[in-house]
Order: sequence, then structure tokens, then C-alpha cells
Amino acid sequence: MDRQEQIENLLDHYEHPRFREANEGADVIMPGGNPGCGDVITIYLSIADDEASVSEVGFEGEGCTISQAAASILMEMAHDEHWTLGEIDEIDYTTMIDILGKEAVQMRPKCATLALGTLKAAVKKYRRDKMRRDAGLDTIEEEDDESAKSLGIVTGAAALQETKE
Amino acid sequence: MADEVASKGYVNPDLLVSTEWVAQHLNDPSIRIVESDEDVLLYEIGHIPGAVKVDWHTDLQDPLVRDFIGPKEFTALMNQLGIGDDTTVVFYGDKNNWWAAYAYWFFRYMGNDNVKVMDGGRKKWEAEGRPLTREASVYPPANYTPKPMNSELRVLRDGVLAHIGYHGVKKVEDGGALVDVRSPGEYSGELLHMPDYPQEGALRGGHIPGAKNIPWARAVAEDGTFKTAAELRDLYQGAGITEDQDIVVYCRIGERSSHSWFVLHELLGYPNVRNYDGSWTEWGNVIGVPIER
Repeated sequence: MDRQEQIENLLDHYEHPRFREANEGADVIMPGGNPGCGDVITIYLSIADDEASVSEVGFEGEGCTISQAAASILMEMAHDEHWTLGEIDEIDYTTMIDILGKEAVQMRPKCATLALGTLKAAVKKYRRDKMRRDAGLDTIEEEDDESAKSLGIVTGAAALQETKE
Repeated sequence: MADEVASKGYVNPDLLVSTEWVAQHLNDPSIRIVESDEDVLLYEIGHIPGAVKVDWHTDLQDPLVRDFIGPKEFTALMNQLGIGDDTTVVFYGDKNNWWAAYAYWFFRYMGNDNVKVMDGGRKKWEAEGRPLTREASVYPPANYTPKPMNSELRVLRDGVLAHIGYHGVKKVEDGGALVDVRSPGEYSGELLHMPDYPQEGALRGGHIPGAKNIPWARAVAEDGTFKTAAELRDLYQGAGITEDQDIVVYCRIGERSSHSWFVLHELLGYPNVRNYDGSWTEWGNVIGVPIER
């Protein structure tokens, strides 16, 4: 795609977002906030019975065009390509920027990668919750993902607090 | 209709125009409407019919040196946007006109004084249900003549040090007026960025010694328009910022301070106001400069 096609694709996802729906029954509900424009999104992630791949995804959010379009594009890929949790671990931020269109989003990398950082945090929370359940412990709702923080992405309850100031 | 701007009592009322004024000048060939946003794709989603786009990052910044483009590139930009010597530029944008004010200030710095800002920006235009289009606006290349720069509108780091009475890292005399337009949390050093924004860009928090904290947002009304001149004078004079002073404004990267610069220098007519666009991303990272908390 050339830059104009990249922009058209982003605008299409922004104006007609895919999987933009809340699912309160999801296995993980992960808020993510910040990058660039004061963006915030919440990802709803459900895991298949194999406990290793995505079954359902959804998101809600507010913010700049790129952040919201990126969330839609990411959700569509994760759903349609039946991503495994391992694949979500492996996809890096550079790849995400390439998927969206480097020429269109490279000046706003934090907006472009908010959804991915939040999805990765959701996967980590799923695993932590599962480990705690397997060990007979309660799950922890209000936790942040430190690895996403290094990218300027705040996830978990802190994301909602920060974006409401 | 009576212009909404004219009644607000500004010293230079012609530098601000209402949305209605813009609506009435959409087909005026001597006017070039320029959208400048933080959201990099907002223009593509829809813009005021006939408006062109200026991206503060890709159009106004030198890609290599951390500085603005020079006179040659600025002239090329003017020509590309169809802005000639007789063209009046009207800026508007998102985020309460932060980037519109930034582009306005930069155009003035580069010597293009035939510029205005649309009061209330994109938010007000949209709220009033006025038309937006996705049709790209292309104009014949103009033949802009480079103008002498208004260098007095900008101050660099060493100039700020001198302004606050420092020689190197030593305070040697009383400082001039300094306005930190960031949020109170950024001013106090609790935050390194504005609320909602990432903790990026500075290794130290706090403010430049002697700065008074007058957040930019206090200058705007609920609908995104600038407050009246009387309200603005009360705001700044109440904080000890008066028109007889030599004033420097700063924020984090220079866009919010451009907004406050526009209020002080353009709307209130304070004669000596400079924007320190290096702002906190520079000051909070420089080794050895003084910081207060």
C-alpha cells in the first residue's frame, strides 16, 4: 500500500470500526491508556477452550484516529487469523507499525501501538489469572503491565485513572 | 451579524476571526484556511471546505536538526500551499487550537504576518454543524517572497537562562517574568507530561526558577473560544504578569505556550512576549540547568 492507501485504510477502520463492542463476560477486560493524544482503549479478550488461542475479541475507546483505527485493525487480525497467545507475544511494535503503514503512522508510534500493548497486557493478565486460579488464589483486577509502561502505555486500572485527570 | 470576536475587547481584534467569518469567506481567493492538528489524520476525515493542511511535525520541523525549517523551506511550503504575499492565512485546529496557535506563532516568527486564528477552532466549527469535506484542496503554486524573520518572538535555552538572571548555572541578577502554562502537576514536578499524556521526554520534573504557573486552559471558555480581554487581563494581571514586563512563556514542547503567547502578545497586545519552544523537553533534560520544585 502506498501512503494514500494506508491512510484510506486507517480512515475506513476509524469510521467503520470492526469488533468495537464491549463484552463484559470476556476472560480479560484490559484498559490501556495514553500515547500521544490522550487515547484510551479497553480490550475484551476471550480465550478458546485450548487455553492457547483467541476466541473472541472486542474493544471500546476514545482518542485520535490512528489509535482507534489501529485497535480495529488489530482486533480484526487477531479474530480472523485465530491468533494464538504465542503469536501475540511475538508480534512486535515495529511489525504493528508496518501493518498499519509505516509512512502513515511512523510519526505517531505510540498511538499506533497502544492497542497492541494493551492486547499483550491482556494476554499476560490471562496467564496470571490462570496461574492464580490453578494455585487456588483469587485473581487481581487492578494490576498494571510494567513491560507496556516502558513504551509509554499504561494498562490496567491506572490507565483509566490517568486519562480521567 | 455582529462579529462575536469584535465584542470581546481585544487590542488586536483583527487577528482572531469567528467561525461565521470563516463561513462567509470560504470562496474568497485571498484567504487560505489552514488546518493544523495534533490528530495527524483529522484533516483527512474531514476539513473546512478549501482548507489545506499543515502538519506541525512533518511540515514545520527540520528532519535532521532539532529545530524548525529554515527560510528557504518555509518559502517552498508557502508556495506549495498557494500562500502568496497577499494571501491571508486563517488557522484552525483540534485541541483548542493548540497547533493552530503553534503554526500561527511559527508563521509570524518566519515573518509572515498576514495570519489569523479562527476562534474556537475545529471543535466550534463542528459543534455548529458547519460543513466538512474530504476533498483535498489544491491550489496553484504561489510566489511567496521571503520576509525578515520576527526573531524577537522566540527565545532559546541560553536566552532563558539570561532572562531568569543566570550566568551559566549561577544566579547573578533578578529575573524577568516567566510563565509556565503547563498543568499544576507538571509545574510542581509531580508529572513529566500533561495529564492523559505519556511520561515521556524529560529526566527531571519541576519548573524553571521563578516561573509562575498559569495553565493555558484558563484562557479559554467552555466552547473552546478565547475568553474576553477583560477576563484575560484579570487572569494574567492577577498572577502578576503585566504588559510592561519582558515575558517568556513555555510548556512541554511549545504548542500550549504558543496558545498563551497568542493571548498575551496578540490578543492583549503585550509588546514583549517570547515563546520558549524548547520548553520542558529541553530544560528537563539539559545537564546543569537550575530547576525549582
